[in-house]
Formats: sequence, structure tokens, C-alpha cells
Amino acid sequence: MKRVREHLPIILTGLVVGVLSILLVQWGNPANMGFCIACFLRDIAGALGMHRAEAVQYIRPEIIGLVLGSMVMAMVNKEFKVRGGSSPVTRFILGGFMMVGALMFLGCPVRMVIRLGGGDLNAAFGLAGFALGIFVGTMFLKKGFTLKKSYSQTKAEGLAIGVVNVGLLVLVVTAPAFLFFSKEGPGSMHAPVIVSLLAGLVVGALAQKTRFCMAGGIRDAIMLKDFHLLTGFVALLAAILVGNLIVGGFGLGQGLKVGFEGQPIAHTDGLWNALGMVLVGFTAVLLGGCPMRQLVLSGSGNSDSTVTVLGMVTGAAICHNFGLASSGAGPTGAGKIAVAVGLVVVTVIGLVNTKKV
Amino acid sequence: MNEQIATFHTHLGAIRFHKLLKELGDPAVMMPVPRKLSASCGTCVKFSRPFEEGWADEDLEGVYAVKDGGFEQIFFNDEEEA
Repeated sequence: MKRVREHLPIILTGLVVGVLSILLVQWGNPANMGFCIACFLRDIAGALGMHRAEAVQYIRPEIIGLVLGSMVMAMVNKEFKVRGGSSPVTRFILGGFMMVGALMFLGCPVRMVIRLGGGDLNAAFGLAGFALGIFVGTMFLKKGFTLKKSYSQTKAEGLAIGVVNVGLLVLVVTAPAFLFFSKEGPGSMHAPVIVSLLAGLVVGALAQKTRFCMAGGIRDAIMLKDFHLLTGFVALLAAILVGNLIVGGFGLGQGLKVGFEGQPIAHTDGLWNALGMVLVGFTAVLLGGCPMRQLVLSGSGNSDSTVTVLGMVTGAAICHNFGLASSGAGPTGAGKIAVAVGLVVVTVIGLVNTKKV
Repeated sequence: MNEQIATFHTHLGAIRFHKLLKELGDPAVMMPVPRKLSASCGTCVKFSRPFEEGWADEDLEGVYAVKDGGFEQIFFNDEEEA
């Protein structure tokens, strides 16, 4: 019974993320994209004109909510500790390549599970790759990989990302003409601002409280034989599956559609779906958390994670400026080269930062 | 059993501390940091041999004694505040 009580908060968090993901699609978000950290950071990069892919430009309030929700929860629990300086440049580069991998697959680990729960079997290749990437990452950790310790920093350094997100909120609410908001395509599909913001706030707060992490579950299971975080991952998948059965049953949407072909915002190239997520899993372990965890850590004062998020935003812009991101039609040649380069670069980063145990 | 938990700034710190304790014959185990504790790195080491300050390197964050299901801090690796 004690064990169940220990796991309850993280299971609840997984369920809430799942239910909100289903609802956000009902309220207007693109199919199988209730929550996707990679897609949403890419949309924000587009809205700010960092890339000009017209179909994917919008300031996603879910991201703002995640950071601010985490920040409030961390402050309430006196866990808002500002630290940073643990190889920030390396983290920026890892964050960039994490995005290259995610946009090859078309989704972060959260969307991978959401796609899987919608019956998109292409995501099974993604999951296999993700687990493999995490396994490789844990090998480096065991051998002594470290980005060195972080140091205490000023409150202002930690609060900066909160201020940036409040600024983004003002921008999305006032929608000034100089921003780029998609008129068609996934970027034009979104739930009302207040709904998206509230969903983000709830998930950010819960994820801060429980350390919810898509990579951490598989990492801890492999490395420490501990399955606590993995229960959140499984709960998310369960909630999405049940949610899609309900949505389909009531005819409110596509619901559960099992197969490879014609899946929303996905392609069917199994090898590159897998390799993209190998890169995401590998970088996530070296960085200490999945894309969503990086946002949550950023909100709770970890400026190294803030730098990682900035690297992800930059990576997304590069992906769309140079045609590296996949589309429903499949991966691009340039995208394949970028993922291959990413795997090499991340391996080199792993090797040069491995110290004697 | 006199259980203690050491938290770290880095995973490497946890590996080194675990190795040191194992060499001293302690049945130390690496595990995720209990949620009640806040730490930079998510991996901690649970051990039972009485803590000695000489074991601390820069990657050690703190050491806690496990008492009645709670934690009492017995060592904090002081560092300069910014």
C-alpha cells in the first residue's frame, strides 16, 4: 500500500497530462498534439520570426504555463534554487541537436506517447529508438560522463525565464501585427489562449512536484532498476488510449486509429523515426531530462536548463530554415544528414566529458 | 541500521561516492533521490557506515540521516553564495 501511495502523485501527473492532451485537441490543438514540447517551441520560434515556415508559427501558451506553473510550485515549496554554470555552451548544443532529432521524428517524447496512444504505430519505432538512445546515454553515465557541477546564482538569473514567458504571454494575448501567426496548418490550430495557459500551468506545477520525466523513467529502470518515474510514462499512455477510445466512441474525433499510413503529422519512415528518437534519448540522458523536464527545471531556477531550452528553440529555427524537419511526406535528405551529424557530435561530447570514475 | 543518504551535484559524484563506500565494505546502493529531498542530481547513495567528512569532494551536496521515515541533514557541503 505504501508503494502505491509513493507512486500515486506521478501516476496522477501522467493521467492529467494524458487527459489534458486529449481535451486540448478537442479544444483546437492539432491531432495527436495536445502537448508537444518540441512542436510548441518550434511554433514559438516561428512566431518570433526565427524561421519562416508559415504553417508552424504560434506562441503556444502551454509552454508559458509549464514554465510559470513550475516556477510557482517551486517557490511555494521553497525549492526555487537558482543554479547554473554546468557546461552551458555544451548544453546549448545538446539542446539544439535534441530538437534536430525530435523534428526528424515529428514530436518530443510526450508526443511520441500521445501518437502511440492514438494508434500511430510509427511512434513504436520512435519509442524503440528513444529507449536505445537512453541506453547509450546510461552507458556514458556509468563510464563517468559529467558536465560538471552547477553553482549558486542570483535570483534575477533564475527569474529571467519567468519574465521572458510573461512577455510571451503579453505578446500572444495582444497579438501585435509584427508577429508571425499561422493562418493555416498546425500553427493555426490551437485551443483558446486561457485554456492552453491553464493546462500548461497545471502540468508545470504537477511535473515540478513529481519530477515527471519521459526519459528519466526508462533511464532509472535501466540504470537503477527503479520504476517509479516509468509509472508516469505508462499512466500517460493509458490515459491517451482510454481518452482516444472515448473520443472515437462518441464520434468526437478520429479516436484510436491503429496503423502506419495516414497518421496525423507523421511519416512512415521507420528507420529515421527511430534514429531521430535515438538522438533525443541520448541527449536527454546527457542533459539529465527530456524536453518537458528541461522546461520544468528551467522554471524552478535551473539556468542550465534555461540555456538548454534556448538551444532547443535555436535548433528548431535552424531545422526549418534549412529544411531539416520532416513533414507528413517523410524525412528530408538534409534532415538525415543533420541527425547523423548530431549522433556523431553528441557521441564526441559524451567522450570528451567522460572522466575517470 | 544507521541509514544515511548522500546527495550530489552530478551523477559522477554519486558513482565515485558509491565506489568509495563499496571499497570500505559498506552495502551502499545508488537510487533516485527521495522526493522529500531536493538535490541537483537525481541519483543518491544510501549507505550505513557513519559519515566521515573526508569522503566529501566538490560533487557531494549533502548527507542526511534517515530517521522515522524522515530525513535529518547531518552534513552540508558549503559553497560560496553568488
